[in-house]
Amino acid sequence: MAVAEGRRAPGSAGVLSGPMGVRRTLRSLRPGLRGFVRVMRANPLTLLGFAMVVVIVVLALLITILPIVGQALLGRPLSILPYDPAYYPSPCPGPIVNNVTVCSLPPSAQHFLGTDNLGRDMFSRVLAALPLDLAIGFSITLFALLVGGSLGLVAGYWDRPGTIGGVFSVMILRLADVFLAFPSLVLALAIAATLGRDLGPSLLAILFTWWPYYVRLVRGEVLVVKQQPYIVAAKAAGVSDVRIVLRHVIRNIIEPVLVYFTLDVGTVIVTFSTISFIGVGVKLGVLEWGNMVEGYQTYLTSYPWMVLSAGAAIFLTVLAFGLLGDGLRDVLDPRSRRALAQTAVPTTLPIAAVPAEA
Amino acid sequence: MAAPVLEVKNLSVDYVVGAGTFHALSEVSFEIEPGRVLGIVGETGSGKSTLAHSIPRLLPEPPAKIRSGEILFRGIDTLKLEKWQLPRIRGTGVSMVFQEPLNSLNPAYRIFDQIAESVRIRQLRETGKMPGILPAGEPFDYSKRDPPKASDVLTKPLVPSLPSKRLRTIIKADESMRREVLEYLRLVRINDPETILTLYPHELSGGMRQRIMIAIALSGRPSLLIADEPTSALDITIQAQVLTLMKELMSEVRTSILFISHDLGVIAEMADDVGVMYAGHLVEFGPLEDVYENPRHPYTKALLRAVPNRYKTDGSLPSLRGTVPNLSRIPSGCPFHPRCPLAKPVCSKDPGPALLPAEGSRIRGHLAACYFSKDVEALP
Repeated sequence: MAVAEGRRAPGSAGVLSGPMGVRRTLRSLRPGLRGFVRVMRANPLTLLGFAMVVVIVVLALLITILPIVGQALLGRPLSILPYDPAYYPSPCPGPIVNNVTVCSLPPSAQHFLGTDNLGRDMFSRVLAALPLDLAIGFSITLFALLVGGSLGLVAGYWDRPGTIGGVFSVMILRLADVFLAFPSLVLALAIAATLGRDLGPSLLAILFTWWPYYVRLVRGEVLVVKQQPYIVAAKAAGVSDVRIVLRHVIRNIIEPVLVYFTLDVGTVIVTFSTISFIGVGVKLGVLEWGNMVEGYQTYLTSYPWMVLSAGAAIFLTVLAFGLLGDGLRDVLDPRSRRALAQTAVPTTLPIAAVPAEA
Repeated sequence: MAAPVLEVKNLSVDYVVGAGTFHALSEVSFEIEPGRVLGIVGETGSGKSTLAHSIPRLLPEPPAKIRSGEILFRGIDTLKLEKWQLPRIRGTGVSMVFQEPLNSLNPAYRIFDQIAESVRIRQLRETGKMPGILPAGEPFDYSKRDPPKASDVLTKPLVPSLPSKRLRTIIKADESMRREVLEYLRLVRINDPETILTLYPHELSGGMRQRIMIAIALSGRPSLLIADEPTSALDITIQAQVLTLMKELMSEVRTSILFISHDLGVIAEMADDVGVMYAGHLVEFGPLEDVYENPRHPYTKALLRAVPNRYKTDGSLPSLRGTVPNLSRIPSGCPFHPRCPLAKPVCSKDPGPALLPAEGSRIRGHLAACYFSKDVEALP
C-alpha cells in the first residue's frame, strides 16, 4: 500500500476522496500488527482465544476447499475428516443388547467422539458442520455491521434537529426501536417460521433482528467522538464532513465496534443454533450444530456423547471469539499497545532520550 | 490602507436552550487589518470563545443561533455560506488553535499524518483540485526568514540516530510531504522533529501538542489565525515558551491573528490592538498602549486596576462590587451600569451606548461604549 501511495502525485485528486479516507483508516491500523505480538505475549488468554479462532478458521477453510482442490488436481476429493460424515456401516458392528444392535459407540481411538445412533462418526459430523456455522456467524454479523453500522454513522454524525440529516436520523432510530421492542430471538423465530424452514429464510430472520444493535452501538460511539476537540480541530483545518467521518470518526470508534463484532460472531452462532434446535432453522438432516443437538436430544441420557459433542463445538467456538474479543481492544488502541510494548520489550527507540520540553 | 482581513459588523449570537435564551454576543463590531494582532480580553462567560468560534462558523447551531450581523472575511460573508461550503474557508482561510491541546489531536494517528492532512488540503486547493479559498496574496516564504536563532540549533537532532523502521516506512511513503511536514515542525521549534513525526499524540507533553496544533494551523497558510486561549491549559513555564514561540512566529509568518485570552498580561505581550468584552458586548476597542494607559471605559479601568502588578502593595486588591450579569437577563442599556461608579439614569435606557470614538483620547481608532468616557480618567 505504501508503494501505491508513493506513486500518487502529492496533490492528486483521489487523495481526499472517500475511498482514500477509508484506506488511510486501514493503513493506520497497520502498526497494530507489531504491537499485536506483544499484547498477545502479555495476555495469554487472548493468545489462547486467538489461537483457537485461527484453528477454527483454518479447519473450516480446509474442510471447504480441500475436496474441491482434490477433485480438480487429483480427480478424487480430499478431506481432513477421518470418515465421511454421512457414511454408516450396514449392518452396524456394535454389540447386541436385548436383541437390538447398538450402533452408537462411545468415544474411542477410532471414533474420537463416538458414533451416532446410525453408527456415523460424530467427530467427522461435528467438523463437517463447522464451515456452515462459521459462515453463518460471520455473514450475519458482517452484514449487520455494514448495514447497522453505516446507518448508525449517519444517524450519529448528522443528527442536528431541523436538518435533513436530523430527520433521517430520527427515522433510522425509530425504525431500530421498533425492531428492538421485540425480543430478538422471538422475532427471529416468528420471521423464520413464516418464511419456512430453510437456510436462506432463517439467515434473513436473524439479520432482520440483528442490525438495530449496531445502529445503537455505532451511533452512541459517534455521539461521543464527534464532541471531541480533535473533531472540531479537524473541522477548523478545513476537513470536509464526509472525510471527517471516514478518517477521524471511524478510526476512533472502531475499537469498541470490532470488539463487539468479535463477541457477536459467537452470539449469532448460538442464536442460529437455537433457531435450528427449535425446528425452524435449516432443513432436517443438514449438518448444523443446532440441528444436530435437536436430532440427537432423544439419546441424551443413553448416549450423551452425541449431544455433548455438538454442544461442545458450539461452546468452544463461542469461547474462542469471546476470548479474542476481550483482548482485541488492547491491540487496537495505540495507547495500550505502546504501553504494553514498552513493558514487554525494552525499546531501542530514542524516544526517552529526547527531552519533552527543551 | 489595505482592506481589512476580517470585518465583524453588529454580530449577535444567542444560545437557545431549555432554560432560556442566552445572549452570548450582542452587537459586536470590529475589524482586523492585514498583519495585525487583535487581542480580545474579557472574563469567563463574556463571549470571547463564542466570538472566536463564530468566525469560521464552528459554533454548534443549534443551540447557538446567529441572530444578526455580518462576518466579512476577505470580502466573503461567512454567515451567508451554505453549510457544505464552510470547509472551503477553513484551513487555508481561517485557522484555529484551541484551548485544549491535550484533546485537539486525533489520538489514533501519528503526528506526521495529522500535519500532512492539513498540508495536503492546502496543496489540493493550490493546484485547483479541490475548491477552497487560497492563501492570501501576501507572500509567505519561509526561506526568506531571519537567520537561525539560538533556538533553531536545538531543532537539529541532538544525537544522530539511524531511522527506525517506522520512520523508513514514512520516508518511503512520501518524501516530499515528509520534508514539508518537517519544515512546519521546525517552524514551531520542535526538538528532533524526525522522531516526533512517528509518535502518537499521547506520547507528547501538553506544550509539545500545542506546538503541533500551531504547526497544523500554520501549515494551511491561513490569512487569519484565531488563537482561542492557546495557553490557558498549560502550566506557567510552558505558557511562556508557547507565547515566546507565537511572538517569534508573528514576525516570520505574516498572518493576521485574533488572540483571545482572559489574561491582560498575555494580551499586552502579544497584541497590537485590544478589544475588551463584557457580558457579550465589546465595550472598548483600540490600540494596545492607548487602551492600557488611557482606558476610556469604566470596566476596562476596573479590570486593569484588579491586576496584581506589585507584590508589596498595601491592603487588599481592589475589586468591583456586584457580579457579571446572567446572560439570559442582561441589564437594559449599558450592560455594565449596575456596577458602574459613573452610572446615571440615562445609562439604563435602551439602546445602550454605541461603540464610538472615545472622548478624551487623541488616538484615532480608540473606541469606547460609554456616555461618560471623558470622566473615566477621574476614577481611582
